[in-house]
Amino acid sequence: MKIGLFYSFHAKKTAQTAKRIQEHFSSEELEPVNAETVTPEQFMSFNALILGVPTWFDGELPNYWDEFVPALEDLNLTGKKVAIYGAGDQKGYPENFVDGLGIMAQLIEQQGGTLVGFTSCEGYTYESSKAERGHQFCGLALDYENQASKNKQRIADWCDQLRSEFK
Amino acid sequence: MAFTDLPIAKIHSIKTTDKETLRKWFHLLVLGRLLDDRAPNYLKQAIGWSYHAPYAGHDGIQLAIGQIFDRNTDHLFPYYRDMMTSLSAGLSAEEIIFNGISKDTDVAGGGRHMSNHFAKPEWNVHNVSSCTGNHTLHATGVGRALKKYHHKGVAISSQGESSVSEGYVYEAINGASNEQLPVIFVFQDNGYGISVPKKDQTANRKVANNFSGFKNLRIIHCNGKDVFDSMNAMLEAKKWAVENQKPVIVQANCVRIHSHSNSDRHELYRDDYELNYVNEYDPLAKYRRMLLRYHRFAEDELTAIESQAKAEVKAAHKAAMDAPDPNPESIHDFVIAPAYVSTKYPEGIHNHQGPAKKLIEGINETLKAEFRHNPDTFIWGQDIANKEKGGIFNVSKGMQQEFGVERVFNAPIAEDFIMGTANGMARFNKNIRVVVEGAEFADYFWPAMEQFVETTHEYWRSKGQYSPNITVRLASGGYIGGGLYHSQSIEGALTTFPGTRVVYPSYADDAAGLLRTAMRSEGMTVFMEPKALYNAPVAATPIPDDFEVPFGKARIRRPGSDISVFTYGNTTHMVEEVAARLADELGAQIEVVDLRSLLPLDEETILNSVKKTGKALIVHEDKVFAGFGGEVAALITEKAFEYLDGPVRRVGSTFTPVGFNRILEKAILPNTEKIQDALKALLNY
Repeated sequence: MKIGLFYSFHAKKTAQTAKRIQEHFSSEELEPVNAETVTPEQFMSFNALILGVPTWFDGELPNYWDEFVPALEDLNLTGKKVAIYGAGDQKGYPENFVDGLGIMAQLIEQQGGTLVGFTSCEGYTYESSKAERGHQFCGLALDYENQASKNKQRIADWCDQLRSEFK
Repeated sequence: MAFTDLPIAKIHSIKTTDKETLRKWFHLLVLGRLLDDRAPNYLKQAIGWSYHAPYAGHDGIQLAIGQIFDRNTDHLFPYYRDMMTSLSAGLSAEEIIFNGISKDTDVAGGGRHMSNHFAKPEWNVHNVSSCTGNHTLHATGVGRALKKYHHKGVAISSQGESSVSEGYVYEAINGASNEQLPVIFVFQDNGYGISVPKKDQTANRKVANNFSGFKNLRIIHCNGKDVFDSMNAMLEAKKWAVENQKPVIVQANCVRIHSHSNSDRHELYRDDYELNYVNEYDPLAKYRRMLLRYHRFAEDELTAIESQAKAEVKAAHKAAMDAPDPNPESIHDFVIAPAYVSTKYPEGIHNHQGPAKKLIEGINETLKAEFRHNPDTFIWGQDIANKEKGGIFNVSKGMQQEFGVERVFNAPIAEDFIMGTANGMARFNKNIRVVVEGAEFADYFWPAMEQFVETTHEYWRSKGQYSPNITVRLASGGYIGGGLYHSQSIEGALTTFPGTRVVYPSYADDAAGLLRTAMRSEGMTVFMEPKALYNAPVAATPIPDDFEVPFGKARIRRPGSDISVFTYGNTTHMVEEVAARLADELGAQIEVVDLRSLLPLDEETILNSVKKTGKALIVHEDKVFAGFGGEVAALITEKAFEYLDGPVRRVGSTFTPVGFNRILEKAILPNTEKIQDALKALLNY
């Protein structure tokens, strides 16, 4: 199953994470797509998707994803498996830690998609997050501001997890 | 708890909103941004617009505020960054530039107020202060009127998120919550109060959440950078506020693309990364991209709208450059709105015979008579109406029983709220007359000073378009053993502000007459009540039922030819006692002039008296140093110097607070002994 990796090619931390993810998959397995210009056709051409969705400001989607939402709301994602990663700042923005991830996750589910790649909330300190589901995040939460040293391992573990969950 | 999770109807979206509406919005957004970007050029060319707070980054929410505002039903209080709000509410590009470069044609107030303070009072787009967030109290005040008059509309207050740190914003939202008023408070959150990040303002990054414990309040968060999200949020807020008659906070996340204003340099405190990402989320660029992405408009259609907007701005600029400047001779126009003119008692004097009534009776009966006279009269204050109690001194006793809780009601112990909501409620219509007991004692009026000052500005600042018709009652002065906070005389401070009247009766009849005039006049009048005289037999007089005392008319209580004494309030009675004694003992003919009205001041009576006697003593309860008497003394020395046969002297309090112990109080406040000493010295001069 070919995986579509959607992220902003002009982003910094999100693109950096995408680069690390690509190291865990072969080019035959993974195809990068620029989220800034994504079309519904591109989105629908994959049955396994990884979305890079950072959180902007006090808990918002980045503008490029926000601008795609009206199109996304017309898509039937039934049968598609979607994994989401995103960076947040648990100290600077503890009330909205990786909210962007949670907002996107809700949209994917609303359109019939299946979320994969849940991770534990352990090891993070924040007040609230729209990405929180019980004791798990509905994706991979990264914090380049406060836990940069943990990112490499977290990404590696997540990619291993996705390999099995995308099957 | 506040309502925080109610659904928001998705009325607008890029796919469903009709094309004409999308076109209108794009045109407004482009027009606004052209004006916003052009504004600094006027300063560079020394034409004007010396204060400009750019709105770029707030486009979505400001467009939405203006779009939901209905000038026929609503009241809008935009703040100094609300250029797009104002345009969206209907102001023209010309009107924006007229205000920016302070032309006489500026519809906010003819160039009197600071630039970038857009308003059109004619449409209830109110002219607000630079004092950030203080119009929240006005919105709550007019919201009270909307509710009391069963008017279908909302008050919309707009402000930056940092202004929510101001205590009066809490008071306004608390009042709207408690009284359940249809008011929308919009917090435009761009993360900064000038250079101060919001983490230095309050612990919650979303300050609206500080109010989550308030009852009857709904809190809505939206993306203020997004046109559709903002429109849906504001439509929902208005619908809910009107249907439920309750307040709403809309917190709109924005970005501030530029510096706070032209006197700020944001590169001193924002790094390149931040400056870049706020630019990346330019709301106008986003809206334009979406119009194209979802095929609602073609590139050439958008370019045509942009060209049209450029032409409009060019034409508006030309009109503004040709517009007249304000006339310097007009500065004395609209300082205060017209006073009621008494035809029955043009001098404020009567010959009525009848039973003597106490000063407190005179006030109480006049309040009631005026409430019967004008059904649009209201009174509120701390402790003013609870069963048999009517104010700390029972001045308003029986009013709630007669006029009902809709017109006579308690206020929370928040003096600024008492004053500010009066300013707001009076905006609803010109017939409304508000009486406030400004504070339980005049000493507690200081927290209300920012609203008092604000209210003194309204008429002049709006070039006569809005007059706050308010009577501020204050129980004033000492002689009751009240100490530092129940003895102050504050008229010396209040009379420094153009835009108010200040009266200070000594007798029951003058109290009644001045109060009636105040309550029938336009503009604000501070009515000082010498509380030590409320029940004093010496202040009791017969009072004609219809008595009126015009402003600026002193009353000669005792004619004389040797010395003129100018006084008011408590000390009038002391001066009269001493004058009678010295007449008996020394045959001295002392003229006692009861000023009654300090602002305006009866210069004619003062000067005529001095010209007759050649000597002047000013006696008041307030401190001598910087007291009101200094103004009277200066008037006399400036305009009647050649008639003087001695120095103008003053008797008043020592330059100390008023002590609580009666021994201290006596040493501090003026009394008959001190007055007699001064008079004897002046007689012998």
